[in-house]
Amino acid sequence: MEDTITAFCDKFFGPALRYVFVPINEALGHIPNWVAGWCGVGIFLLTMIWVGLLLNPKYVNRGRPYKSIWTDLRLWTVISMTPHVVVYFYFR
Amino acid sequence: MEIVGLHPIDIFIVFVYMVGSLMLGTYCTRFVGSAEDFFIAGKALPFWAIGFSIVTSDIGATDFVAVAGAAYTNGVSAANFDWMGSMPAMVIAAFVFVPYFWRSGVFTIPEFLGRRYNTAVQFINGLIWAVVLFFMLAIMQWLSADKLMHTILGWNPYITLWLTAGITGIYTFSGGLTAVVFTDVVQLVVMYVGGFGLLALSLWEVGGWSALHEKVLAMGPQYADHFRLLLPHNTTGPFPWTGIVFGLALVMAVAYMSGNQVIVQRTLGARSEWDAKGGMLFGGLLKAMIPLMVALPGLCAIVLIPNLGSANADRAVPEMIRLLMPAGLRGLMFAALFAAMMSHISASLNSTTTIFITDIFGQIRNWMGKGPMSEKMALGMGRFITLALIISTALLAEPIANREHIYVFMQTILSLFQGPLLAILLLGIIWPRATGYGGLAGLVLGVMFCFVLKYTPGLFASAEPFLFVAWWSFIFALIVTIVVSLLTKRESEEKLRGLCWSSVVADEDAQEALQERVS
Repeated sequence: MEDTITAFCDKFFGPALRYVFVPINEALGHIPNWVAGWCGVGIFLLTMIWVGLLLNPKYVNRGRPYKSIWTDLRLWTVISMTPHVVVYFYFR
Repeated sequence: MEIVGLHPIDIFIVFVYMVGSLMLGTYCTRFVGSAEDFFIAGKALPFWAIGFSIVTSDIGATDFVAVAGAAYTNGVSAANFDWMGSMPAMVIAAFVFVPYFWRSGVFTIPEFLGRRYNTAVQFINGLIWAVVLFFMLAIMQWLSADKLMHTILGWNPYITLWLTAGITGIYTFSGGLTAVVFTDVVQLVVMYVGGFGLLALSLWEVGGWSALHEKVLAMGPQYADHFRLLLPHNTTGPFPWTGIVFGLALVMAVAYMSGNQVIVQRTLGARSEWDAKGGMLFGGLLKAMIPLMVALPGLCAIVLIPNLGSANADRAVPEMIRLLMPAGLRGLMFAALFAAMMSHISASLNSTTTIFITDIFGQIRNWMGKGPMSEKMALGMGRFITLALIISTALLAEPIANREHIYVFMQTILSLFQGPLLAILLLGIIWPRATGYGGLAGLVLGVMFCFVLKYTPGLFASAEPFLFVAWWSFIFALIVTIVVSLLTKRESEEKLRGLCWSSVVADEDAQEALQERVS
């Protein structure tokens, strides 16, 4: 069954899709690995910046039980993401 | 594989754990008086319970086995699923999707899509999730019973399967989401004790982190990338960095954390919007520790059991338990594995039931011209479906799940619809011009495109390109939804009131409108 589906897809969609995807794969294959490492770290940093600096603080903390730095979800975001930044920096 | 019997103290620990879980779960029955209590815990859950429950629902015994197996074969890159594949997506879920779902008072994600688009989108999305969760339930039951309990203890897998199905079925049947969440809290603590116990013993036996690093790299060139989280794009393994960053972090993980009923249902039961968001963030922090206890023992197994082979990689953790854990600790580890297995099963069971009631039977009744179900009927049906699901998945577990490299198989199933689902969910919230027809076309054509990508050979270097399937199907579904929406009639302002993210973030009236729609 799986072989029949594969043969069907290869015949009808293969040429057009390979025309699109093979050049993309070749281009991506030339990107050095340090770029990958910084992309990993960058995703965490950008997410922290988005929540900490760009989102409306009232929206972020809407419904919090009392006003304190410990109930500020911007701080929670930074604290929970920092270990990830360290890990991706170490294994980059 | 050599079989090891349990010491009486181990059996006692496992017995105490099982009976304790059952008692705690059934105790929660007293809090269930309505369908809202059963499906979303009466909207009374605090952030810490949500955080614990999200992690326990996500991490099953399958992860202990399969992620360790993937780490044995592919190295630390297998841990990406619990790091890059979790935290950024959980932050996005907390601040983009969860506030909408919580305020709108829905029971399920398909129900939300039904309000935003139309009932066809709700029904198809509900059906997809119900089928996938059914498969997942069967897989996790068989994997735990066969690859864990049978491998190590030589227990008959059918007896293990029916024992765990019976216990989880009873407390999920009686206590609903409240029982699931509060047993999850206890289960995560037990999982951490057992998991970190195995990690400590594994590292001790290998000689510490530095020794592990040196010994693995000294075993040959095939292990050169085992300590790299992000592998080159043209790697033949299933985790190239482009797939991890684009397919996993930006699509599969966001779709999983924002569109997976099993995860989101806990936040829908939050006592406040702050608890819903905080629960997600707290869950992300707890989840960051999971790879330490599921992936690192797999790496240690390379040194301690070097001749296991790639085909038997999923047996790495069972073999490590057999080799390293003394009596008493082994009982704790087994309690942890039972905890992981039962929490995952009960969470999926409760969520699948909710989808069946709300999005499948509810919609069929709606199309037949019958009114919504009464509270009593919904509660009764919910319990009946819980029972039917646990029995049918236990019966079908072996034929569905008896295959090699189960983790990649599970991720492949998820990748076949996560991209299109995220595309319509995202556009539904951030783009007011998205229409019901656009959402329907994006979902249906997007899922079809996933199958085409999966079955057309020669498109990607990776032998298991599920991460790329997720990414490209997401892009495809985005384009289809946008094009069809622009070609069809704009939705009325009344229908969209309070459903557009930009207005809800900035405008208190729009926020109130979202809640008014429910009341």
